[in-house]
Amino acid sequence: MKSSNGKKILYILVEKKVKPARFIEIYRRNYGDINKTLDYFYKYKSLKLEYKTNGEDHIDFNHSNNCYQEVVDFILKNEVGLLDIGENSYPDILRQIYLPPPLLFFRGNKIKKAQFSIAIVGSRKCTAYGREVAGYISRNLSRIGITVVSGLAVGIDSYAHKAALEGKGGSIGVLGCGIDIIYPPENKYLYEEILSNGSIITEFLPETPPLKNNFPVRNRIISGLCRGVVVIEAGEKSGAIITCEMALQQNREVFAIPGNVFNPMSRGCHKLIKSGAKLVESIDDILEEFSQYSGGILKLCGNSGYNNNRQANDKQSANLDNNELKVYEFIGYNPKSVEEIVKYSKIEVKEVLRILTSLEIKQLIKEDSFNKYSSLF
Amino acid sequence: MLFKLDSFTLIGIDAIKVSVEVHISRGLPEFIIVGLPGKAVNESRQRVRSAIINSGFDFPVKKIIVNLSPADIKKDGSYYDLPIALSILAASGQIGCGMFNESCFIGELSLDGSINPVKGLISMAEKAQSMDKKFFFVPYEIANQASFISGVSIVACKSLVETVKVLTGGEQIEKFICKDKEKNISNRNNHYNFDLKDVKGQLKAKRALEIAVSGRHNIMLIGPPGSGKTMLAQRAVSIMPDLNLEECIEVTKIYSLYEKYVNHLIQERPFRNPHHTISRVGLVGGGINPRPGEISLAHRGLLFLDEFSQFPKNFIEDLRQPLENKAVIITRNNLSYSFPCNFMLIVATNPCYCGYFGDEGRKCICSLREVRKFWKKISGPIIDRIDMRVTVARLKESSFIKTECGESSNQIKNRIKKCINMQNERFKGKNVSYNSEIGINIINEWLKNNKNIRDLIYTISRKYNLTARGMVSILKVSRTIADLEESENIKDCHIIEAVHYRVGSNNLDNSICV
Repeated sequence: MKSSNGKKILYILVEKKVKPARFIEIYRRNYGDINKTLDYFYKYKSLKLEYKTNGEDHIDFNHSNNCYQEVVDFILKNEVGLLDIGENSYPDILRQIYLPPPLLFFRGNKIKKAQFSIAIVGSRKCTAYGREVAGYISRNLSRIGITVVSGLAVGIDSYAHKAALEGKGGSIGVLGCGIDIIYPPENKYLYEEILSNGSIITEFLPETPPLKNNFPVRNRIISGLCRGVVVIEAGEKSGAIITCEMALQQNREVFAIPGNVFNPMSRGCHKLIKSGAKLVESIDDILEEFSQYSGGILKLCGNSGYNNNRQANDKQSANLDNNELKVYEFIGYNPKSVEEIVKYSKIEVKEVLRILTSLEIKQLIKEDSFNKYSSLF
Repeated sequence: MLFKLDSFTLIGIDAIKVSVEVHISRGLPEFIIVGLPGKAVNESRQRVRSAIINSGFDFPVKKIIVNLSPADIKKDGSYYDLPIALSILAASGQIGCGMFNESCFIGELSLDGSINPVKGLISMAEKAQSMDKKFFFVPYEIANQASFISGVSIVACKSLVETVKVLTGGEQIEKFICKDKEKNISNRNNHYNFDLKDVKGQLKAKRALEIAVSGRHNIMLIGPPGSGKTMLAQRAVSIMPDLNLEECIEVTKIYSLYEKYVNHLIQERPFRNPHHTISRVGLVGGGINPRPGEISLAHRGLLFLDEFSQFPKNFIEDLRQPLENKAVIITRNNLSYSFPCNFMLIVATNPCYCGYFGDEGRKCICSLREVRKFWKKISGPIIDRIDMRVTVARLKESSFIKTECGESSNQIKNRIKKCINMQNERFKGKNVSYNSEIGINIINEWLKNNKNIRDLIYTISRKYNLTARGMVSILKVSRTIADLEESENIKDCHIIEAVHYRVGSNNLDNSICV
């Protein structure tokens, strides 16, 4: 193991049952000198400091019954890395938050390399629209080298991760459980994929189950790792909103994607916008805010909103035949049912079904609800 | 005095020959039946005795031993009343005639000597035919059931007295021979209660049903409550082509086992719609004296499992082997019974617990986890055997009040007939009769010869993340679509349409393992 400091911290946290909050307090008292901090805990271990935090020391590190040696064995066996707060590659931006995790377990090296990150968070139960937007924003961010951070949940999170993996920015997933636990189990394959161009991190010990309390704690790391948080489809009270609160405490930018007025899933985002979050239509809206931070690595892409001409361009490039064109033009952005299409176009059902699938393969339309189709945004 | 005549017993749906041997000798008056008789057979002593006396014959006051050979097979039921009574009459010299050798008998006697129906008549008639018997004496009420079996004359008698008269030449035998056979079965006009034209809208689902029936693909209908899944499934049977004689006989065989009073050859396609509280034995078949279950009763027809997700998981798994083998083998005690079950499966289910996932009007209140849990129950090997999954959306008010109707079942049926003929021709001599049954070797041949298809399949499987199994299903269905259009080769458009019935709803993709 490279980072012997990491092991030492692990020892202090696990065997001596020092709470992370106390560790950070001592670390800060020593002006961020990790060696002095460690000395402190080794030499004055009997010294008891009454230390109270503002309610945040409920972060109980020790949900699992692992002892120090077991954890060390585990990380050696499973190629899990330890990233301690004293290391240079520990993200600076995370070190600055109120209570940074003294120690991170990680797989995949992205966490050490990511220069600039943006978090994308949102509902687990997203609509087709949310899915599209998550993919659209995330893909474009990743393409220009921005790392997308999210929580590896289902819904918006997983679509953001998936899209980000396509670009050079990659993706970081922050877990609310031990690194050996895959939660939710549906994302088994996503885990493997992320390791190819990103990393999975957690501050929880191996074997920590995904408890309810872990997730708000985890959310502070998501916002802590990033300059800004983009919210896509959040209910009025949701994890995404908690992440935004964390982000504001940590002095991060909050962005929100507007949605359908009638959809309850837009409520949270719209509330954020009303209270001052920036409305985002394309990644340029995000990049604008960071022109001073980035040291020139980020350049605006030059499109301030979604390119409405795309429909026309796509139509040309996709080589549609007459019937396909007729159906495609009829469908539009309001969902149309198969019956309506048949009635309007006077084409046989089997032909309509064929056209619909073929348009879907060409990425021009999508199925909105059962048997209802609309143009892709 | 010894006398023998031939009768039958049933093993599963097949009849085997049983000779009823009677020996009347001097000794203490006694009446014994040997040869593993069941309770009903043993009780037949009382019926036979009363029937003989009440028909005006003498019941011999001697030692009577009846043996049912082969003696090591258990026999149950009231089949042997008539044969035993006749053998006793013959053995005691009250009647005598040469016709016994070319005849066989079956029937339950009532105390007054009239003959009551028994189960499984048609299987026995078939066996009689294979034994080269000339006459088969059966209960009058259900004689028509067996009348389409060629080669053996079905003699329908109402009572013991009548039977004796026919045997001894007192009455002309021709008068009693069942003549239902002479009616032509192809001229029938099957009447189903439902017609597909009653279903408004649902164009996609109707088209999917047409394809499913044509290639005998199993199909799953997914939709919110009230979207018309049950209605569609009930009508699917009305677009299936008529049964041919052979199939009619197969179906009648099964139904005659199930109930006694089948008094005609069954000519309609069976449609079975068991409720989900059904027992395992009720579904697959079995019991102490094995009986066909719902899957066998749906032989050559449709098995519709409504609210599929409500069926216990292990019941659903029970369907795996029957779906593959088209027969179910039930082993009880020391015998195995095989019941045919070559059926087409239609299952209908809601998309989630609350039923409104993917619905446009109402919001689904299930969490994503719950939706997955819902689908977990039925995904897996069983879902692989369902080639087509079609989403059925709720009808809009505006289309409900419209009165125009679509094609009638008969129109669709004619197209399907053509399509099935094409398949039969193509698969002549192979061990396959429908597109849904073709193996990977045939599919490989198609792929080998056509680069276009290979490319398209590649694109589609990338786009929709399909498994190999999914692709095979799509190819099978596209073969059926090509057959419907009487096209020699599978074209791109056929495959693309087939994709439509596999991927179903994008919304469900994450939940159902494709």
